[in-house]
Amino acid sequence: MNKSFYKTIKPTAVFLSWFFVVSIIAFGSSSFSQEEEGQVKIDGKSLFKSKCSSCHQPHKDGTGPKLFGAKNKWEENAMEGSIYLWVNNWQAAAAKDPYAQSVSELKPSAMNPFPELSKAQIDAILDWVDEQPVPTKSNDSLANAGPGGEEEEESGNSLIWILLGVSFIVIILSVGGVRRQLSISLKEKEGTGDGKDKLTYTQELKALAWKYRLQTGLISLVVVLSIIVYLFQTLYGIGVVEGYQPSQPIAFPHSVHAGKNGIDCKYCHNSVMKSKTAGIPTVNVCMNCHKQIQGEDEAKKEISKIYNAAGFDPTSLYSPGKGQPIVWNKVHSLPDHVYFNHSQHVVVGGIDCKQCHGDMTKMTETAKVWPVKELNEIEGNIKLTKPTLTMGWCIECHDKKEVSKGSLDTKKDGYYDEIHRRLLNNDKELYKKYLKDNKVSVKELGGWECGKCHY
Amino acid sequence: MNKRTIYINNLLVRNTGITLFFITFLLVGCVENKDSSGLEYMPDMYRSPAVEPYVDYAEIRNKQNPELAKKLSAKTPPIGTIPYYGTDKELVELMLPYKRKPGIEFQQTHGLVDYVFSNKNEYELAANDKINPIHIDSTNSKEIFEEGKKIYSYMCAHCHGEKGDGNGPMVKSGAYTGVPAYADRKDLSNGQIFYSIYYGKGAMGAHGPLINKKEIWTLVHYIRKFQDPEYGKKDTSKVEQSNSTDVEIIKDTITVNNSM
Repeated sequence: MNKSFYKTIKPTAVFLSWFFVVSIIAFGSSSFSQEEEGQVKIDGKSLFKSKCSSCHQPHKDGTGPKLFGAKNKWEENAMEGSIYLWVNNWQAAAAKDPYAQSVSELKPSAMNPFPELSKAQIDAILDWVDEQPVPTKSNDSLANAGPGGEEEEESGNSLIWILLGVSFIVIILSVGGVRRQLSISLKEKEGTGDGKDKLTYTQELKALAWKYRLQTGLISLVVVLSIIVYLFQTLYGIGVVEGYQPSQPIAFPHSVHAGKNGIDCKYCHNSVMKSKTAGIPTVNVCMNCHKQIQGEDEAKKEISKIYNAAGFDPTSLYSPGKGQPIVWNKVHSLPDHVYFNHSQHVVVGGIDCKQCHGDMTKMTETAKVWPVKELNEIEGNIKLTKPTLTMGWCIECHDKKEVSKGSLDTKKDGYYDEIHRRLLNNDKELYKKYLKDNKVSVKELGGWECGKCHY
Repeated sequence: MNKRTIYINNLLVRNTGITLFFITFLLVGCVENKDSSGLEYMPDMYRSPAVEPYVDYAEIRNKQNPELAKKLSAKTPPIGTIPYYGTDKELVELMLPYKRKPGIEFQQTHGLVDYVFSNKNEYELAANDKINPIHIDSTNSKEIFEEGKKIYSYMCAHCHGEKGDGNGPMVKSGAYTGVPAYADRKDLSNGQIFYSIYYGKGAMGAHGPLINKKEIWTLVHYIRKFQDPEYGKKDTSKVEQSNSTDVEIIKDTITVNNSM
């Protein structure tokens, strides 16, 4: 059995191994030859990256003009060899060559001289740049245009429900009418009714309810219960802002900025460590990057709103216009009688933004108040039960979050030193009680005092 | 009544229940509007006359005050206001306005147009600012680098990379190109690094509005660390004892120490 199996497989195996060997030789030799070439050839790419790329890009004007096709232009217009002189020492080139003189007036920023680059190296750089394909459509454009689509769907859904409800009511009424007519005509035909026992709608309904009293009782119980539940839900929902996601003037995708591009929250919301508010980024924070990144398609439309706000014309740096403030809608509002300080929580408490604001690196839409259920799903978050931004939610966290793990004796040079000292020196019994769960929580240091947040 | 009417009656009774059920759901559904923050209890406790940052007082509970629009939220402090930095002389001196000025266009465009318009090309002059006002030696370098790393991680790392190689997530995702590695820019003086962070340079925007001068000088120390792993490890006493060749390299540090 085994032998015959090997016999049949043998020719295939031989062929395969032959193919394998041949392909290895073929590919191996090709890679060898490439390597040999690479040793001779100067690596234009790495030279470009280390020397030129901080000012020049292949296809886009930055601080310096784009380099794609620069070699051709110089060969056509300038004296021979003056491009090398330009790179080595642009001032010398500008003095010698009229074309170089005109190039030196293109941009007000002067180019650094690179006397260490040889002719061959400059050639390698320019050749590499010319090899770069012209970008057709960037994949970096924002994939997420904002909250538009989903909302429309939702309103469409509710319209369907309303239509369904109306048609149900119409059907019920018409069926009722038909039934009534039928029973009346039945009675007339049988001759039992002479018009006197013609019941009114109310009487009929009463009789019907009595006849099917079990069903009527059950249904009314359900109805009454659901009304009560609805009422309580509404009452409990007062002052709860979970899921609040106001529309914003710019469809800003956090997922692209904080997620894909890895920008820290504290870069844009830079007052979070110094101030009560985290801060809505000013337009010049946006412009720090967006004077370079102009986006495409949908993103371009949104980014142009920043340009309007900044009074910036992406086509020419030299015409500063007048700006217009962007009116963002505030998402997280606390009542006026609550004091909340971001810097206290972020710097002293060491709380991560995601504990309260959720995982913004995956948020493709504009900001919202994350429901507590979604917050609990995020790794590393303290699990809470009360709705986000309610007092119960704050209090719960103050109870669970520890100021220090273990004994306070080892804690030094910290924000809570003074409170720790008082606790250690004044009330040893209380301190022992606090340490039972091997941590000192915010609550135990006065985090549940009314005056902490209300004054 | 015959069977048929009973059936119809049954249908009616059932349908009433279903309809009521649907109406309840419809009512609940009406409340769920993302643009509405829901019901508020005593709205006058939410919107008080006290001015809070980032509240547009043009509209309070449907009452329109167009004259307040864009005026009462996030106000800029009065012209000439300076922050109070306490009584620590060194800190206050550190926080004094930066002596190098950008061009007039920089101010007009809120820093959108950067140093290239500087009248006297103060970036070149900043090359003479060799001294970092925050003193560093082996005793305090650890703290300074820790602080610097913290600031660097949220202010710079997304472009310049966690290791200072110019290969942060912004560059990796393709959003930005041409971020230099610090190791290639050893020729820059402390003052030029400060100037570049404060007013921006090339593709980089101004960061003076985002972090204060103490933080920037701390960053300058931290950036020097990328360029020289030995940076900040030496102190004056060691230099006096050693006769080795690296004394010349440390000369700069000595002048810093003496001047402080």
